[in-house]
Amino acid sequence: MRMTGYVPGAIVLWAICILFILVPLASFLAYGFLPVVDNAIVYEPTLDNIVNIVSNSSYRTTFLRTMLLAFEVSVFNFVLGYATAYFIWRRSPAWRNVLVIALAIPLLMSYIIKIYAMRGVLGTNGLLNSALLALGMADEPVSALLFNLTAVRITLSVVLLPFMVLPICVALERISPQVLQAAADLGASEIQTFRWVIMPLSLPGAIVGAMFTFVLASGDFLAPELVGGIEGFTYGRLVFSQFGLAFNWPLGAALSVLLLVVALAVISIARRLSNPRWQS
Amino acid sequence: MVVPDADSRHEVAGDRTPLLRIRGLGVCFQDFEAIRPLDLDVLNGEFLTVLGPSGSGKTTLLRTIAGFQQPTAGRIEFDGRDIADLPINRRPFNTVFQDYALFPHMTVRENVAFGLRVRGVARATRDARVRGALGIVELEDLGNRYPAQLSGGQQQRTALARAMICEPRLILLDEPLAALDATLRRQMQKFLKIVQRRSGITFVFVTHDQSEAITVSDRICVMRSGSIEQIGTPRDLYYRPRSRFVAAFFGASNILEPCRIESTGEATTMVSTPFGAMRVDGPPPQVHEGLALAVRPEALVPAADDTCNRIECEVVSVSFVGSETITELKHPQAHHVLTMKTRSNPSARQPVVGSRLEVGFDAAACALVKGARE
Repeated sequence: MRMTGYVPGAIVLWAICILFILVPLASFLAYGFLPVVDNAIVYEPTLDNIVNIVSNSSYRTTFLRTMLLAFEVSVFNFVLGYATAYFIWRRSPAWRNVLVIALAIPLLMSYIIKIYAMRGVLGTNGLLNSALLALGMADEPVSALLFNLTAVRITLSVVLLPFMVLPICVALERISPQVLQAAADLGASEIQTFRWVIMPLSLPGAIVGAMFTFVLASGDFLAPELVGGIEGFTYGRLVFSQFGLAFNWPLGAALSVLLLVVALAVISIARRLSNPRWQS
Repeated sequence: MVVPDADSRHEVAGDRTPLLRIRGLGVCFQDFEAIRPLDLDVLNGEFLTVLGPSGSGKTTLLRTIAGFQQPTAGRIEFDGRDIADLPINRRPFNTVFQDYALFPHMTVRENVAFGLRVRGVARATRDARVRGALGIVELEDLGNRYPAQLSGGQQQRTALARAMICEPRLILLDEPLAALDATLRRQMQKFLKIVQRRSGITFVFVTHDQSEAITVSDRICVMRSGSIEQIGTPRDLYYRPRSRFVAAFFGASNILEPCRIESTGEATTMVSTPFGAMRVDGPPPQVHEGLALAVRPEALVPAADDTCNRIECEVVSVSFVGSETITELKHPQAHHVLTMKTRSNPSARQPVVGSRLEVGFDAAACALVKGARE
């Protein structure tokens, strides 16, 4: 019987997934439904934490600001990432490989190191200010580049760019050269070919990239913590503070539940958009 | 889509002016000569097949005409105008690609409409013409399907309609039937021929399949190692191959060699072979050395009173294979065994193995071919 070898294998895989991923995640999120009375967790599930968060205007503001921030980063990276991917795709195959690898290398680096590197770039004596001064575009160092929401935007854009470029590269790579030749053969100019063939065919990849960017940016707390200053207070930092500073695990877990709901919603929308009817 | 009716097609076929004139066209890849400088005329309204084994340069030739490949030498004239420097999207004809190259994100209708859309044709006109083109390729009901939802034959017909929509005078087809199964292939061969006849569009069709070439073509251009080996009608190439390569490409032949020319006339040549002296009808050969006489197995028949080329043989074997009977014959002065393919006849006597049989062939049913034994 062939099935005898297969069934235990599947059971083991499922067991690993459930035991090491779903159970810890669920037990953590379960905290979100437990009230805290006199600094002690009471094991009687309620929706109090969620209700408190939704009705608290400062939580709401932070949440909306963070969603807007993630959206801005996604849109900006969508444009920048598409241009980068398109540029890479138009190189010769040898160059293409070099550029893709160069783009993927930062993914292997520590996240904290990348953020500190961005601090070095954006600081008063940083690379960006030196460049502005040298080019005569500023008379004195611009301090508005660091410890605010703009610094968070820039840092997240730079750090998350590979997540946008790589899926678009994959989508572009999958376009058959013959299809492009067919477009030219039928009289299409380069712009028409781009507008009607290349763009629609690579859009699913760009949507996946935008989804990655949005989900990662909306939940991030390290970049805002390190370059955001007081102004750059985001939802991720709010969650973080419940665990590290306030020691209110149930509230932190409840805040995380909302973030998880948003992430799942974005992923399901992106899934629908990136699987158009024609890919049947 | 303007489709002339059946009566006017003789006019189209009768127009013998070249639509495409290729002169000294050569293509090199680094130091490999994919196409040796060659001349080729494609006549207006004809179905010309470029036939050759893989590596013969046939696809390179087509891609060079289409503009996907830059020639290293020579001119390509379309309707009297040199187009060798024209970019792909300005060339006045369209291509049907080997793997169809349909736009996967567009429906059949959008695929077919693409050529009109890039030219800015108004939507109403566009829709009407797309409907017409889909009618010709019998895809009216599948206009809203995506390529991934179509069978191979349907994709093929979509690609054809897409190439025809702008009413080009010439369509290039790069092995368009290679991916289809045998039955569908035969259907599509007939279909292509009908569409070509009715539309009057000149087709240049690339294939490596000789039976396909014979079925669909008005003329066949046989290519070998980057050069044109012979151009002619399917009958010409089949019955009057000029080289051993062409003779072999279109099926088995009896090769009578060495073959020496005894005398040449305007329409007949007398030759001597190990099987005896033979008369060959047709224009005199261009070379006189290294020739052989090629006779198709079905051109060889038991000699009648008026058969001019006769060979006295001994029957070696007789095999009945249904509609045909294949007889192998041996001549005392030649090592070579001749193969005779005759239509099986229930009332006729089969040759007896070991008996003598006088066979022969018509002077018009044989050809002098050049080229050494391969």
